[in-house]
Amino acid sequence: MSFQNLVKPSSAIANYLKNGKIKNYFSTVLWTFTSIAIFVSLWEFAWWQGWANPILLPPPHIFLSNLSDQFRFFDPGGTRAGALSTGGSFLSVLGVMGWSSLRVSAGLASGFILSLLIGLGIRYFNIFGRLILPLVTMLAPISPVAWIPVAVFIFGIGNIPAIFLVFVAVFFIMTLATLSQIDNVPKNYIQLAQIMGCSKRQIYRYVILPTILPELFVTLRMNLFAAWMVVLIAEAVGVGSGLGQVTMMARNTFNASLVFFTMTLIGLTGFLFDQALRYVQKKVLWWVGPSTVGAL
Amino acid sequence: MYRKKCFGGLVPLPLGLYDMTLGLKIKNISKTWNPDSVNPVVALKNINLDVALGEFVVLLGPSGCGKSSLLYILAGLEDASRGVAEFDGRQIVKPSPERGLIFQEASLYPWLTVKDNITFGLKISGLSASKKEAAAEKLLKLVGLKGTGDQRPHQLSGGMRQRAALARALAMEPKVLLMDEPFAALDIQTRSRMQTHLLDIWQASQASILLVTHSIDEALALADRVIVFTSRPGKIKDEIIVNEARPRDLRSPKMIKLARRCEELLAEEVEKAFKEQETA
Repeated sequence: MSFQNLVKPSSAIANYLKNGKIKNYFSTVLWTFTSIAIFVSLWEFAWWQGWANPILLPPPHIFLSNLSDQFRFFDPGGTRAGALSTGGSFLSVLGVMGWSSLRVSAGLASGFILSLLIGLGIRYFNIFGRLILPLVTMLAPISPVAWIPVAVFIFGIGNIPAIFLVFVAVFFIMTLATLSQIDNVPKNYIQLAQIMGCSKRQIYRYVILPTILPELFVTLRMNLFAAWMVVLIAEAVGVGSGLGQVTMMARNTFNASLVFFTMTLIGLTGFLFDQALRYVQKKVLWWVGPSTVGAL
Repeated sequence: MYRKKCFGGLVPLPLGLYDMTLGLKIKNISKTWNPDSVNPVVALKNINLDVALGEFVVLLGPSGCGKSSLLYILAGLEDASRGVAEFDGRQIVKPSPERGLIFQEASLYPWLTVKDNITFGLKISGLSASKKEAAAEKLLKLVGLKGTGDQRPHQLSGGMRQRAALARALAMEPKVLLMDEPFAALDIQTRSRMQTHLLDIWQASQASILLVTHSIDEALALADRVIVFTSRPGKIKDEIIVNEARPRDLRSPKMIKLARRCEELLAEEVEKAFKEQETA
Protein backbone atom coordinates (compact mmCIF):
# COMPACT_ATOMS: atom_id res chain seq x y z
CA MET A 1 0.00 0.00 0.00
CA SER A 2 1.54 3.23 -1.09
CA PHE A 3 1.71 6.33 0.98
CA GLN A 4 -0.68 8.07 -1.40
CA ASN A 5 -3.38 5.51 -0.79
CA LEU A 6 -3.02 5.95 2.93
CA VAL A 7 -3.67 9.65 2.96
CA LYS A 8 -6.35 9.54 0.30
CA PRO A 9 -9.67 10.05 2.02
CA SER A 10 -12.41 7.53 1.39
CA SER A 11 -14.65 8.43 -1.52
CA ALA A 12 -17.61 9.30 0.70
CA ILE A 13 -15.62 11.86 2.63
CA ALA A 14 -14.03 13.11 -0.55
CA ASN A 15 -17.42 13.73 -2.08
CA TYR A 16 -18.52 15.39 1.09
CA LEU A 17 -15.57 17.76 0.99
CA LYS A 18 -15.86 18.37 -2.72
CA ASN A 19 -19.45 19.39 -2.32
CA GLY A 20 -18.91 23.13 -2.19
CA LYS A 21 -22.30 23.77 -0.60
CA ILE A 22 -21.62 21.86 2.61
CA LYS A 23 -18.12 23.24 2.80
CA ASN A 24 -19.43 26.77 2.40
CA TYR A 25 -22.07 26.21 5.01
CA PHE A 26 -19.58 24.96 7.58
CA SER A 27 -17.17 27.75 6.89
CA THR A 28 -19.98 30.30 7.39
CA VAL A 29 -20.96 28.70 10.68
CA LEU A 30 -17.35 28.57 11.80
CA TRP A 31 -16.75 32.24 11.06
CA THR A 32 -19.95 33.21 12.84
CA PHE A 33 -18.94 31.34 15.97
CA THR A 34 -15.40 32.71 15.87
CA SER A 35 -16.77 36.22 15.55
CA ILE A 36 -18.96 35.77 18.63
CA ALA A 37 -16.22 33.95 20.54
CA ILE A 38 -13.78 36.83 20.14
CA PHE A 39 -16.31 39.30 21.49
CA VAL A 40 -17.25 37.06 24.42
CA SER A 41 -13.66 36.29 25.39
CA LEU A 42 -12.74 39.99 25.42
CA TRP A 43 -15.66 40.63 27.75
CA GLU A 44 -14.78 37.67 29.98
CA PHE A 45 -11.18 38.81 30.06
CA ALA A 46 -12.22 42.27 31.19
CA TRP A 47 -14.27 40.72 33.99
CA TRP A 48 -11.40 38.41 35.00
CA GLN A 49 -9.03 41.38 35.16
CA GLY A 50 -11.55 43.20 37.29
CA TRP A 51 -12.10 45.98 34.70
CA ALA A 52 -15.77 45.14 34.21
CA ASN A 53 -17.97 45.42 37.27
CA PRO A 54 -20.01 42.14 37.39
CA ILE A 55 -23.02 44.02 38.76
CA LEU A 56 -23.15 46.48 35.86
CA LEU A 57 -21.50 44.50 33.06
CA PRO A 58 -22.00 40.84 33.96
CA PRO A 59 -20.13 38.71 31.38
CA PRO A 60 -21.99 35.95 29.47
CA HIS A 61 -21.05 33.15 31.88
CA ILE A 62 -22.86 35.02 34.65
CA PHE A 63 -26.00 36.13 32.86
CA LEU A 64 -26.34 32.78 31.10
CA SER A 65 -25.65 30.67 34.24
CA ASN A 66 -28.87 31.30 36.13
CA LEU A 67 -31.29 30.67 33.29
CA SER A 68 -34.20 29.57 35.47
CA ASP A 69 -33.76 32.76 37.43
CA GLN A 70 -33.99 34.77 34.20
CA PHE A 71 -36.93 32.81 32.85
CA ARG A 72 -39.12 34.01 35.74
CA PHE A 73 -39.40 37.41 34.11
CA PHE A 74 -40.76 36.15 30.84
CA ASP A 75 -44.44 35.89 30.36
CA PRO A 76 -45.94 35.98 26.90
CA GLY A 77 -49.25 37.36 28.13
CA GLY A 78 -47.56 40.11 30.06
CA THR A 79 -49.80 39.70 33.10
CA ARG A 80 -47.20 38.20 35.39
CA ALA A 81 -44.34 40.29 34.13
CA GLY A 82 -42.30 41.59 37.03
CA ALA A 83 -43.76 39.14 39.50
CA LEU A 84 -40.74 37.53 41.07
CA SER A 85 -42.44 34.69 42.89
CA THR A 86 -43.53 32.21 40.20
CA GLY A 87 -40.97 31.36 37.54
CA GLY A 88 -41.59 31.03 33.81
CA SER A 89 -40.16 28.25 31.70
CA PHE A 90 -38.13 27.98 28.52
CA LEU A 91 -41.43 27.89 26.64
CA SER A 92 -42.51 31.21 28.06
CA VAL A 93 -39.24 32.73 26.79
CA LEU A 94 -40.01 31.38 23.34
CA GLY A 95 -43.52 32.75 23.72
CA VAL A 96 -42.22 36.25 24.43
CA MET A 97 -39.85 36.06 21.46
CA GLY A 98 -42.71 34.76 19.35
CA TRP A 99 -45.00 37.64 20.25
CA SER A 100 -42.37 40.23 19.38
CA SER A 101 -41.65 38.41 16.13
CA LEU A 102 -45.33 38.32 15.25
CA ARG A 103 -45.65 42.05 15.77
CA VAL A 104 -42.63 42.69 13.55
CA SER A 105 -43.94 40.30 10.89
CA ALA A 106 -47.40 41.85 10.85
CA GLY A 107 -45.96 45.37 10.61
CA LEU A 108 -43.45 44.44 7.92
CA ALA A 109 -45.99 42.54 5.82
CA SER A 110 -48.66 45.24 5.97
CA GLY A 111 -46.06 47.97 5.38
CA PHE A 112 -44.59 46.15 2.39
CA ILE A 113 -47.91 45.40 0.72
CA LEU A 114 -49.46 48.79 1.32
CA SER A 115 -46.36 50.73 0.28
CA LEU A 116 -46.24 48.69 -2.92
CA LEU A 117 -49.90 49.41 -3.66
CA ILE A 118 -49.60 53.11 -2.85
CA GLY A 119 -46.35 53.42 -4.80
CA LEU A 120 -47.85 51.78 -7.86
CA GLY A 121 -50.99 53.88 -7.43
CA ILE A 122 -49.01 57.11 -7.31
CA ARG A 123 -47.37 56.36 -10.64
CA TYR A 124 -50.44 54.76 -12.24
CA PHE A 125 -53.05 57.38 -11.38
CA ASN A 126 -51.72 60.81 -12.12
CA ILE A 127 -54.09 62.80 -9.90
CA PHE A 128 -53.76 60.37 -6.99
CA GLY A 129 -49.99 60.70 -7.27
CA ARG A 130 -50.07 64.48 -7.23
CA LEU A 131 -52.26 64.43 -4.13
CA ILE A 132 -50.46 61.74 -2.17
CA LEU A 133 -46.80 62.18 -2.98
CA PRO A 134 -46.23 65.49 -1.11
CA LEU A 135 -47.90 63.99 1.95
CA VAL A 136 -45.76 60.85 1.88
CA THR A 137 -42.59 62.87 1.41
CA MET A 138 -43.47 65.10 4.36
CA LEU A 139 -44.34 62.24 6.68
CA ALA A 140 -41.34 60.11 5.69
CA PRO A 141 -38.69 61.89 7.79
CA ILE A 142 -40.71 61.70 11.02
CA SER A 143 -39.14 59.12 13.34
CA PRO A 144 -41.39 56.24 14.38
CA VAL A 145 -40.64 57.24 17.98
CA ALA A 146 -42.54 60.47 17.40
CA TRP A 147 -45.50 58.37 16.30
CA ILE A 148 -45.65 56.52 19.65
CA PRO A 149 -48.05 58.92 21.39
CA VAL A 150 -50.20 59.06 18.25
CA ALA A 151 -50.31 55.28 18.16
CA VAL A 152 -51.37 55.11 21.80
CA PHE A 153 -53.97 57.91 21.36
CA ILE A 154 -55.56 56.08 18.44
CA PHE A 155 -55.13 52.43 19.30
CA GLY A 156 -54.69 52.43 23.09
CA ILE A 157 -52.47 49.80 24.71
CA GLY A 158 -51.98 46.43 23.05
CA ASN A 159 -50.69 44.76 19.93
CA ILE A 160 -52.12 47.17 17.39
CA PRO A 161 -50.02 50.24 18.32
CA ALA A 162 -46.82 48.13 18.21
CA ILE A 163 -47.71 46.76 14.79
CA PHE A 164 -48.67 50.25 13.66
CA LEU A 165 -45.27 51.62 14.68
CA VAL A 166 -43.44 48.91 12.76
CA PHE A 167 -45.71 49.71 9.83
CA VAL A 168 -44.81 53.41 10.06
CA ALA A 169 -41.10 52.52 10.26
CA VAL A 170 -41.19 50.76 6.89
CA PHE A 171 -44.18 52.23 5.02
CA PHE A 172 -42.94 55.69 4.04
CA ILE A 173 -39.43 54.57 3.15
CA MET A 174 -40.76 51.65 1.16
CA THR A 175 -43.24 53.86 -0.71
CA LEU A 176 -40.46 56.18 -1.81
CA ALA A 177 -38.30 53.15 -2.68
CA THR A 178 -41.16 51.77 -4.80
CA LEU A 179 -41.37 55.04 -6.72
CA SER A 180 -37.66 55.16 -7.40
CA GLN A 181 -37.73 51.53 -8.52
CA ILE A 182 -40.62 52.18 -10.90
CA ASP A 183 -38.75 55.13 -12.38
CA ASN A 184 -35.68 52.95 -12.91
CA VAL A 185 -37.38 50.16 -14.84
CA PRO A 186 -35.32 49.80 -18.04
CA LYS A 187 -36.98 51.73 -20.86
CA ASN A 188 -36.50 48.79 -23.21
CA TYR A 189 -38.69 46.57 -21.04
CA ILE A 190 -41.62 48.94 -21.33
CA GLN A 191 -41.12 49.74 -25.01
CA LEU A 192 -41.07 46.04 -25.85
CA ALA A 193 -44.31 45.53 -23.98
CA GLN A 194 -45.85 48.46 -25.87
CA ILE A 195 -44.86 46.93 -29.20
CA MET A 196 -46.35 43.60 -28.11
CA GLY A 197 -49.60 45.46 -27.61
CA CYS A 198 -49.72 45.68 -23.80
CA SER A 199 -52.19 48.11 -22.24
CA LYS A 200 -51.04 50.37 -19.40
CA ARG A 201 -52.54 47.96 -16.87
CA GLN A 202 -50.78 45.02 -18.49
CA ILE A 203 -47.46 46.86 -18.48
CA TYR A 204 -47.78 47.46 -14.74
CA ARG A 205 -48.85 43.92 -14.04
CA TYR A 206 -46.54 41.95 -16.32
CA VAL A 207 -43.48 44.19 -16.60
CA ILE A 208 -43.15 46.81 -13.89
CA LEU A 209 -44.21 44.70 -10.92
CA PRO A 210 -41.84 41.78 -11.56
CA THR A 211 -39.01 44.20 -12.34
CA ILE A 212 -39.25 46.14 -9.08
CA LEU A 213 -40.05 43.32 -6.63
CA PRO A 214 -36.52 41.93 -6.13
CA GLU A 215 -34.97 45.30 -5.28
CA LEU A 216 -37.89 46.16 -3.01
CA PHE A 217 -37.38 42.95 -1.13
CA VAL A 218 -33.75 43.87 -0.53
CA THR A 219 -34.91 47.24 0.77
CA LEU A 220 -37.36 45.46 3.04
CA ARG A 221 -34.58 43.32 4.46
CA MET A 222 -32.47 46.38 5.16
CA ASN A 223 -35.40 47.92 7.00
CA LEU A 224 -35.93 44.77 9.04
CA PHE A 225 -33.51 45.90 11.73
CA ALA A 226 -35.15 49.30 11.96
CA ALA A 227 -38.43 47.46 12.47
CA TRP A 228 -36.93 45.46 15.33
CA MET A 229 -35.65 48.59 17.05
CA VAL A 230 -39.06 50.17 16.80
CA VAL A 231 -40.98 47.17 18.09
CA LEU A 232 -38.86 47.09 21.24
CA ILE A 233 -39.60 50.71 21.99
CA ALA A 234 -43.26 50.20 21.23
CA GLU A 235 -43.43 47.21 23.55
CA ALA A 236 -41.68 49.05 26.32
CA VAL A 237 -44.15 51.91 26.09
CA GLY A 238 -47.43 50.73 24.76
CA VAL A 239 -47.91 46.97 24.88
CA GLY A 240 -47.00 45.51 28.28
CA SER A 241 -45.47 42.34 26.93
CA GLY A 242 -42.69 41.18 24.62
CA LEU A 243 -38.93 41.52 24.63
CA GLY A 244 -39.11 45.30 24.80
CA GLN A 245 -41.23 45.18 27.91
CA VAL A 246 -38.79 42.77 29.59
CA THR A 247 -35.87 45.06 28.75
CA MET A 248 -37.68 48.05 30.20
CA MET A 249 -38.51 46.13 33.35
CA ALA A 250 -34.89 44.99 33.68
CA ARG A 251 -33.83 48.62 33.41
CA ASN A 252 -36.33 49.78 36.01
CA THR A 253 -35.33 47.04 38.47
CA PHE A 254 -31.61 47.57 37.79
CA ASN A 255 -31.22 43.93 36.73
CA ALA A 256 -28.10 43.98 34.55
CA SER A 257 -28.07 40.21 33.99
CA LEU A 258 -31.58 40.36 32.63
CA VAL A 259 -30.71 43.30 30.38
CA PHE A 260 -27.89 41.40 28.73
CA PHE A 261 -29.85 38.19 28.57
CA THR A 262 -32.69 39.96 26.76
CA MET A 263 -30.25 41.72 24.46
CA THR A 264 -28.82 38.31 23.54
CA LEU A 265 -32.32 37.08 22.73
CA ILE A 266 -33.06 40.14 20.61
CA GLY A 267 -29.83 39.74 18.66
CA LEU A 268 -30.57 36.08 18.08
CA THR A 269 -34.16 36.67 16.94
CA GLY A 270 -33.12 39.45 14.59
CA PHE A 271 -30.45 37.22 13.09
CA LEU A 272 -32.91 34.37 12.55
CA PHE A 273 -35.39 36.81 11.01
CA ASP A 274 -32.83 38.00 8.51
CA GLN A 275 -32.00 34.41 7.59
CA ALA A 276 -35.68 33.64 7.12
CA LEU A 277 -36.21 36.65 4.84
CA ARG A 278 -33.14 35.68 2.84
CA TYR A 279 -34.63 32.25 2.37
CA VAL A 280 -37.99 33.64 1.28
CA GLN A 281 -36.22 35.99 -1.12
CA LYS A 282 -34.34 33.10 -2.72
CA LYS A 283 -37.46 30.97 -3.06
CA VAL A 284 -39.96 33.57 -4.21
CA LEU A 285 -37.76 35.82 -6.32
CA TRP A 286 -35.89 33.14 -8.17
CA TRP A 287 -35.38 35.26 -11.26
CA VAL A 288 -32.80 37.41 -9.56
CA GLY A 289 -29.47 35.91 -10.58
CA PRO A 290 -27.57 34.12 -7.81
CA SER A 291 -24.95 36.84 -7.67
CA THR A 292 -27.39 39.64 -6.94
CA VAL A 293 -29.03 37.78 -4.09
CA GLY A 294 -25.70 36.71 -2.68
CA ALA A 295 -24.44 40.28 -2.51
CA LEU A 296 -26.92 41.24 0.18
CA MET B 1 -43.72 40.18 -55.99
CA TYR B 2 -41.27 38.75 -53.48
CA ARG B 3 -37.73 38.12 -54.60
CA LYS B 4 -38.03 34.59 -53.26
CA LYS B 5 -40.62 33.69 -55.82
CA CYS B 6 -38.67 35.21 -58.69
CA PHE B 7 -35.08 34.26 -58.06
CA GLY B 8 -35.03 31.56 -55.41
CA GLY B 9 -34.39 34.11 -52.72
CA LEU B 10 -30.82 34.82 -53.71
CA VAL B 11 -30.73 37.84 -55.94
CA PRO B 12 -32.26 41.18 -54.90
CA LEU B 13 -34.86 42.46 -57.27
CA PRO B 14 -34.13 45.53 -59.33
CA LEU B 15 -35.72 48.37 -57.38
CA GLY B 16 -38.53 48.88 -59.84
CA LEU B 17 -39.89 45.41 -59.25
CA TYR B 18 -40.68 45.91 -55.54
CA ASP B 19 -44.25 46.85 -54.77
CA MET B 20 -43.69 50.36 -53.52
CA THR B 21 -47.27 51.03 -52.52
CA LEU B 22 -46.82 48.82 -49.45
CA GLY B 23 -44.11 48.92 -46.80
CA LEU B 24 -42.64 51.91 -45.02
CA LYS B 25 -42.87 55.43 -46.36
CA ILE B 26 -40.90 58.12 -44.59
CA LYS B 27 -41.95 61.54 -45.73
CA ASN B 28 -39.80 64.51 -44.88
CA ILE B 29 -39.21 63.54 -41.25
CA SER B 30 -37.26 65.74 -38.85
CA LYS B 31 -36.63 65.10 -35.19
CA THR B 32 -35.38 67.56 -32.60
CA TRP B 33 -34.71 66.38 -29.06
CA ASN B 34 -35.48 68.82 -26.23
CA PRO B 35 -36.86 71.44 -28.66
CA ASP B 36 -37.71 73.90 -25.87
CA SER B 37 -34.39 73.70 -24.03
CA VAL B 38 -31.34 75.97 -24.34
CA ASN B 39 -29.51 73.58 -26.66
CA PRO B 40 -31.97 71.54 -28.70
CA VAL B 41 -30.43 68.59 -30.50
CA VAL B 42 -31.41 68.19 -34.15
CA ALA B 43 -31.17 64.44 -34.66
CA LEU B 44 -32.82 64.09 -38.06
CA LYS B 45 -33.42 66.54 -40.86
CA ASN B 46 -35.73 66.05 -43.84
CA ILE B 47 -35.49 62.29 -44.19
CA ASN B 48 -37.27 60.80 -47.20
CA LEU B 49 -37.05 57.06 -47.57
CA ASP B 50 -39.23 54.21 -48.77
CA VAL B 51 -38.72 50.62 -47.72
CA ALA B 52 -40.66 48.14 -49.85
CA LEU B 53 -42.32 45.07 -48.44
CA GLY B 54 -39.70 42.33 -48.19
CA GLU B 55 -36.74 44.62 -48.74
CA PHE B 56 -33.62 44.59 -46.57
CA VAL B 57 -32.37 48.12 -45.98
CA VAL B 58 -29.42 49.05 -43.79
CA LEU B 59 -28.93 52.50 -42.29
CA LEU B 60 -25.20 53.17 -42.04
CA GLY B 61 -23.75 56.19 -40.32
CA PRO B 62 -21.44 57.52 -37.62
CA SER B 63 -22.54 57.10 -33.99
CA GLY B 64 -25.05 59.63 -32.77
CA CYS B 65 -26.30 60.58 -36.22
CA GLY B 66 -29.94 59.91 -35.42
CA LYS B 67 -30.32 56.53 -37.12
CA SER B 68 -31.76 55.05 -33.95
CA SER B 69 -34.14 57.98 -33.53
CA LEU B 70 -35.55 57.12 -36.94
CA LEU B 71 -36.14 53.53 -35.87
CA TYR B 72 -37.95 54.65 -32.71
CA ILE B 73 -40.18 56.93 -34.76
CA LEU B 74 -40.98 54.09 -37.15
CA ALA B 75 -41.71 51.78 -34.21
CA GLY B 76 -44.19 54.38 -32.99
CA LEU B 77 -42.36 54.92 -29.70
CA GLU B 78 -41.37 58.51 -30.49
CA ASP B 79 -43.12 61.25 -32.42
CA ALA B 80 -41.44 62.99 -35.30
CA SER B 81 -41.05 66.74 -34.88
CA ARG B 82 -42.02 67.24 -38.51
CA GLY B 83 -43.12 64.98 -41.34
CA VAL B 84 -45.01 61.69 -41.31
CA ALA B 85 -44.16 58.04 -41.42
CA GLU B 86 -46.58 55.63 -43.03
CA PHE B 87 -46.80 51.89 -43.00
CA ASP B 88 -48.93 50.08 -45.57
CA GLY B 89 -50.59 53.38 -46.35
CA ARG B 90 -51.54 54.23 -42.75
CA GLN B 91 -49.82 56.85 -40.64
CA ILE B 92 -47.73 55.46 -37.75
CA VAL B 93 -49.06 56.89 -34.49
CA LYS B 94 -48.41 54.17 -31.91
CA PRO B 95 -46.43 50.95 -31.45
CA SER B 96 -47.79 47.84 -33.11
CA PRO B 97 -46.78 44.17 -33.21
CA GLU B 98 -46.55 44.36 -37.02
CA ARG B 99 -43.47 46.54 -36.59
CA GLY B 100 -41.09 44.52 -34.39
CA LEU B 101 -38.10 46.19 -32.73
CA ILE B 102 -34.80 44.54 -31.75
CA PHE B 103 -32.43 46.38 -29.43
CA GLN B 104 -28.69 46.12 -29.09
CA GLU B 105 -29.28 44.36 -25.78
CA ALA B 106 -31.61 41.39 -25.98
CA SER B 107 -33.71 42.82 -23.10
CA LEU B 108 -35.34 39.51 -22.25
CA TYR B 109 -37.41 39.62 -19.10
CA PRO B 110 -35.24 37.91 -16.45
CA TRP B 111 -38.22 36.57 -14.49
CA LEU B 112 -39.54 34.56 -17.46
CA THR B 113 -38.12 31.43 -19.03
CA VAL B 114 -36.84 31.69 -22.59
CA LYS B 115 -40.04 30.12 -23.85
CA ASP B 116 -42.26 32.49 -21.89
CA ASN B 117 -40.21 35.42 -23.12
CA ILE B 118 -40.70 34.37 -26.72
CA THR B 119 -44.45 33.89 -26.31
CA PHE B 120 -44.98 36.99 -24.15
CA GLY B 121 -46.66 38.89 -26.98
CA LEU B 122 -48.82 35.87 -27.86
CA LYS B 123 -49.97 35.67 -24.25
CA ILE B 124 -50.93 39.34 -24.34
CA SER B 125 -52.92 38.82 -27.54
CA GLY B 126 -54.81 36.03 -25.78
CA LEU B 127 -53.52 32.87 -27.46
CA SER B 128 -54.37 29.58 -25.76
CA ALA B 129 -51.69 27.70 -23.84
CA SER B 130 -51.46 24.83 -26.30
CA LYS B 131 -51.14 27.15 -29.30
CA LYS B 132 -48.50 29.12 -27.42
CA GLU B 133 -46.57 25.93 -26.70
CA ALA B 134 -46.65 24.92 -30.36
CA ALA B 135 -45.58 28.38 -31.48
CA ALA B 136 -42.71 28.38 -28.98
CA GLU B 137 -41.40 25.05 -30.26
CA LYS B 138 -41.53 26.26 -33.85
CA LEU B 139 -39.83 29.57 -33.08
CA LEU B 140 -37.10 28.00 -30.94
CA LYS B 141 -36.32 25.64 -33.80
CA LEU B 142 -36.34 28.52 -36.29
CA VAL B 143 -33.72 30.53 -34.40
CA GLY B 144 -31.69 27.46 -33.46
CA LEU B 145 -32.45 27.44 -29.74
CA LYS B 146 -34.21 24.08 -29.58
CA GLY B 147 -34.13 22.58 -26.10
CA THR B 148 -33.37 25.84 -24.27
CA GLY B 149 -37.00 26.84 -23.80
CA ASP B 150 -37.11 26.14 -20.08
CA GLN B 151 -33.87 27.94 -19.29
CA ARG B 152 -33.57 31.41 -17.81
CA PRO B 153 -32.18 34.26 -19.92
CA HIS B 154 -29.10 34.63 -17.70
CA GLN B 155 -28.15 31.03 -18.52
CA LEU B 156 -27.81 31.85 -22.23
CA SER B 157 -24.81 33.36 -24.02
CA GLY B 158 -25.06 36.81 -25.60
CA GLY B 159 -25.65 35.40 -29.08
CA MET B 160 -28.31 33.00 -27.85
CA ARG B 161 -30.09 35.78 -26.01
CA GLN B 162 -30.16 37.92 -29.14
CA ARG B 163 -31.60 34.96 -31.06
CA ALA B 164 -34.29 34.59 -28.42
CA ALA B 165 -35.08 38.30 -28.82
CA LEU B 166 -35.38 37.71 -32.55
CA ALA B 167 -37.74 34.81 -31.93
CA ARG B 168 -39.82 37.00 -29.63
CA ALA B 169 -40.20 39.60 -32.38
CA LEU B 170 -40.93 36.95 -35.03
CA ALA B 171 -43.64 35.43 -32.84
CA MET B 172 -45.81 38.44 -33.61
CA GLU B 173 -45.38 37.79 -37.36
CA PRO B 174 -44.18 41.33 -38.03
CA LYS B 175 -44.29 42.79 -41.50
CA VAL B 176 -41.17 44.80 -40.79
CA LEU B 177 -38.31 44.23 -38.35
CA LEU B 178 -36.58 47.33 -37.02
CA MET B 179 -33.14 46.39 -35.70
CA ASP B 180 -31.06 48.84 -33.67
CA GLU B 181 -27.44 47.64 -33.91
CA PRO B 182 -28.60 44.15 -32.98
CA PHE B 183 -25.19 42.46 -33.15
CA ALA B 184 -22.97 45.27 -31.87
CA ALA B 185 -22.53 43.67 -28.45
CA LEU B 186 -21.46 40.28 -29.86
CA ASP B 187 -17.97 39.04 -30.68
CA ILE B 188 -16.96 38.94 -34.35
CA GLN B 189 -17.43 35.18 -34.90
CA THR B 190 -20.88 35.11 -33.29
CA ARG B 191 -21.71 38.22 -35.23
CA SER B 192 -21.10 36.81 -38.70
CA ARG B 193 -22.90 33.61 -37.75
CA MET B 194 -25.89 35.69 -36.61
CA GLN B 195 -25.87 37.66 -39.86
CA THR B 196 -26.14 34.47 -41.91
CA HIS B 197 -28.87 33.32 -39.61
CA LEU B 198 -30.76 36.57 -39.96
CA LEU B 199 -30.65 36.30 -43.76
CA ASP B 200 -32.13 32.78 -43.59
CA ILE B 201 -34.92 33.98 -41.34
CA TRP B 202 -35.57 37.04 -43.48
CA GLN B 203 -35.90 34.92 -46.61
CA ALA B 204 -38.26 32.54 -44.86
CA SER B 205 -40.42 35.26 -43.32
CA GLN B 206 -40.82 37.70 -46.24
CA ALA B 207 -40.72 40.61 -43.80
CA SER B 208 -38.90 43.86 -44.55
CA ILE B 209 -35.90 44.58 -42.39
CA LEU B 210 -34.55 48.00 -41.54
CA LEU B 211 -31.28 47.57 -39.72
CA VAL B 212 -29.10 50.24 -38.13
CA THR B 213 -25.36 49.69 -37.89
CA HIS B 214 -22.06 51.52 -38.03
CA SER B 215 -20.22 48.51 -39.42
CA ILE B 216 -19.59 48.71 -43.16
CA ASP B 217 -19.02 44.96 -43.43
CA GLU B 218 -22.30 44.23 -41.75
CA ALA B 219 -24.14 46.63 -44.03
CA LEU B 220 -22.65 45.13 -47.19
CA ALA B 221 -23.16 41.54 -46.10
CA LEU B 222 -26.85 42.06 -45.45
CA ALA B 223 -28.43 44.88 -47.38
CA ASP B 224 -30.29 45.23 -50.63
CA ARG B 225 -29.73 48.93 -50.19
CA VAL B 226 -27.36 50.78 -47.86
CA ILE B 227 -28.48 54.25 -46.82
CA VAL B 228 -25.51 56.31 -45.66
CA PHE B 229 -26.29 59.02 -43.10
CA THR B 230 -24.46 62.23 -42.45
CA SER B 231 -23.27 63.08 -38.95
CA ARG B 232 -25.63 65.09 -36.78
CA PRO B 233 -28.06 66.43 -37.87
CA GLY B 234 -28.74 63.13 -39.64
CA LYS B 235 -29.55 63.49 -43.34
CA ILE B 236 -29.40 60.94 -46.09
CA LYS B 237 -26.02 61.39 -47.72
CA ASP B 238 -26.06 58.64 -50.30
CA GLU B 239 -27.67 55.37 -51.27
CA ILE B 240 -25.70 52.32 -52.32
CA ILE B 241 -27.44 49.45 -54.03
CA VAL B 242 -25.78 46.10 -53.40
CA ASN B 243 -26.78 43.98 -56.33
CA GLU B 244 -25.03 40.77 -55.27
CA ALA B 245 -26.27 37.27 -54.55
CA ARG B 246 -26.08 36.12 -50.93
CA PRO B 247 -24.08 34.77 -49.21
CA ARG B 248 -21.67 37.46 -50.28
CA ASP B 249 -17.91 37.28 -50.40
CA LEU B 250 -16.83 40.59 -48.91
CA ARG B 251 -13.34 40.10 -50.38
CA SER B 252 -14.53 39.99 -53.98
CA PRO B 253 -13.36 42.97 -56.07
CA LYS B 254 -16.89 44.29 -56.46
CA MET B 255 -17.60 44.24 -52.72
CA ILE B 256 -14.23 45.78 -51.89
CA LYS B 257 -15.07 48.61 -54.25
CA LEU B 258 -18.40 49.16 -52.53
CA ALA B 259 -16.75 48.99 -49.09
CA ARG B 260 -14.23 51.63 -50.14
CA ARG B 261 -17.04 53.85 -51.36
CA CYS B 262 -18.79 53.49 -47.96
CA GLU B 263 -15.56 54.17 -46.12
CA GLU B 264 -15.01 57.39 -48.05
CA LEU B 265 -18.52 58.58 -47.37
CA LEU B 266 -18.26 57.79 -43.66
CA ALA B 267 -14.77 59.25 -43.31
CA GLU B 268 -16.00 62.60 -44.62
CA GLU B 269 -18.74 62.63 -42.01
CA VAL B 270 -16.51 61.61 -39.12
CA GLU B 271 -14.06 64.30 -40.15
CA LYS B 272 -16.86 66.86 -40.22
CA ALA B 273 -18.09 65.80 -36.78
CA PHE B 274 -14.58 66.10 -35.31
CA LYS B 275 -14.13 69.57 -36.71
CA GLU B 276 -17.45 70.68 -35.29
CA GLN B 277 -16.53 69.37 -31.86
CA GLU B 278 -13.24 71.22 -31.97
CA THR B 279 -14.85 74.54 -32.87
CA ALA B 280 -17.61 74.04 -30.27
